Amino acid sequence: MIRLLPRDRMIWLAAPALVYLAFFYAMPLVYLLGRSVIGPNGPTLSLFANFFADDYNWRVIGNTLRIALLVTLVSLVIGYPVALALARARGLAQVMLLTAIILPLSVGVVVKAFAWQIVLRRDGAIAQLLVATGIWDEPQRLLFTEPGLVIGAANVFLPFMILPIYSVVKLIDPRLSEAGATLGASPFYRFRKIILPLTMPGLISGMAFVFSLSVSMFVIPSLLMGDRFQTLATLTGRSFLLMRNEALGSATAVVLLVLAVSIVVGSTILSRRIGRAA
Amino acid sequence: MNPAPFLDIRKASKDFGAGPVLDGVDLAVTRGEFISLLGPSGCGKTTLLRIIAGLASADGGSVTLDGQDISRLPPHRRDVGVVFQNYALFPHLTVAENIAFGLRAKGAPAAEISATVERFLALIHMTAFADRSVKALSGGQQQRVAVARALATKPKLLLLDEPFSALDRKLRETMQIDLRRLLRELGTTSIFVTHDQDEALIMSDRIAVMNRGRIEQLDTPEAIYARPATPFALEFVGLSTRIAGTVTEYDPAGTIMVETPLGRLRSRGRFEVGSPVLLGIRPERIRFGPAGGENVVAPVLADIVFQGARIQAHFASPDDRPVMIETSGALPAGLAAGSPVTISFAVEDTIAYPLAAA
Repeated sequence: MIRLLPRDRMIWLAAPALVYLAFFYAMPLVYLLGRSVIGPNGPTLSLFANFFADDYNWRVIGNTLRIALLVTLVSLVIGYPVALALARARGLAQVMLLTAIILPLSVGVVVKAFAWQIVLRRDGAIAQLLVATGIWDEPQRLLFTEPGLVIGAANVFLPFMILPIYSVVKLIDPRLSEAGATLGASPFYRFRKIILPLTMPGLISGMAFVFSLSVSMFVIPSLLMGDRFQTLATLTGRSFLLMRNEALGSATAVVLLVLAVSIVVGSTILSRRIGRAA
Repeated sequence: MNPAPFLDIRKASKDFGAGPVLDGVDLAVTRGEFISLLGPSGCGKTTLLRIIAGLASADGGSVTLDGQDISRLPPHRRDVGVVFQNYALFPHLTVAENIAFGLRAKGAPAAEISATVERFLALIHMTAFADRSVKALSGGQQQRVAVARALATKPKLLLLDEPFSALDRKLRETMQIDLRRLLRELGTTSIFVTHDQDEALIMSDRIAVMNRGRIEQLDTPEAIYARPATPFALEFVGLSTRIAGTVTEYDPAGTIMVETPLGRLRSRGRFEVGSPVLLGIRPERIRFGPAGGENVVAPVLADIVFQGARIQAHFASPDDRPVMIETSGALPAGLAAGSPVTISFAVEDTIAYPLAAA
């Protein structure tokens, strides 16, 4: 006889979440998907054909991926050392670091975005610093530029990079690095051959988090870049809210979803493979 | 003139803030020697090991290895291998990759790496496991890989931090002998940290008995067992019968008479009349009946403990110190708990230690 029910009853603990997601996530998505493939005269892919035929939309996809990739890289470069330090910190230092990482999540993105407008202005703190250190000859405006957007978005998403890496790093036995040292490995070699491979699963999930948050962010690019610069998410928002073009909105939403899903699934498979090899 | 020692530790000290963990330790080790640091937890033995490896910094003192002062060198430049208590094998690498790690880190040629790895796999009888993940190994196998990994880089000195503590007793004994043989074959100078006196007695050329951040005695296992230098060494290494008393007579030839709750006993040493002393006797040096020697007492028998090859007789003690006999022969007939039994031991086997006045 074929068992239809899973052997492990613990799996039922996931049931409430599944029901919740089915109602509030899957159903609207199915509706959205339906809107994007059903035209006035029955099922059609013409919406996507039109969408991909337009050069502007390719630029939007390019914007989306480029910004998300840059935000992920910046978060990684800033977040990885923090995660290592956080795992090594003890007592009050650790509590303070964790608070510093998590507390900013409680400040709304809108508030932060307005704060960056101050920091990223032509006479803002960053411009002044770069001029003072001689990197820039004269103050420039970062606001409404891509670097400004990347800096701002990385700031918001940094905790989602740090925390998954931290949770992996803190499980690594500190003796492993010591063992490497007594075997003659330099600090850099130890990092490359011990710490980096062992933190890879956390690194991948942190990157997946930040990337999927970045491809779909709406408020941050709206406030830091404005309407001239469109990503799939802002275009989706505009289609529904401003242009009342639900068909275009559904198409962009579906393209965005496909991108996000392939990244999450891909990274999960990758980290499982690395986890098995490790 | 003695040649300079291979490893020379001078005045090593360390204080984590709650009193000294290492209190100016001196230790000189000859090339090829196997030395145990034996002591209870908290005696500073692991701290000393970490200072030698460069994993902890000393507050003061120096470490000289093979003529070079390594006190200020980082661990990866010291050429000191370590086998950690939990082995600290790299979980993401195979057995062979673990053993090759040190050689790869040092940039050894590929041919040398594979030859060395093969040789060590054979030495630890694990050639068939070369490509296994270390996570799939038993405790004993992991320990052998950890030893091979540490030795593959040919370190000048091998440090072992309680490498048997995670293994069960039976396995431990064969592995102790195997490891000792391997290290002797390779001629590796080794320092072995343990709190297990049996382990130290079985494996060591010399034992350093450590207590409260100091080395109380450094000598061969035989000498430490036969003539413990301090009451701590007496108590920590092997079993002992211990009787406290006061010196009542002293003659210039070095014989003292000690008044104890069990009676008047003779021992040797230089003590003033009236000073408190602790007498220690190894239980197997004590005989039933008055025939064994010059010191004869008759304490009340409390318990008989059967241990297979050996039998212990425990006696009621005037203080909490143990009074016991250990014998591998048969007990005299008619022993009954609760009644006094005459026992005796030689003056030569009765060691006297000064005791702080109570």
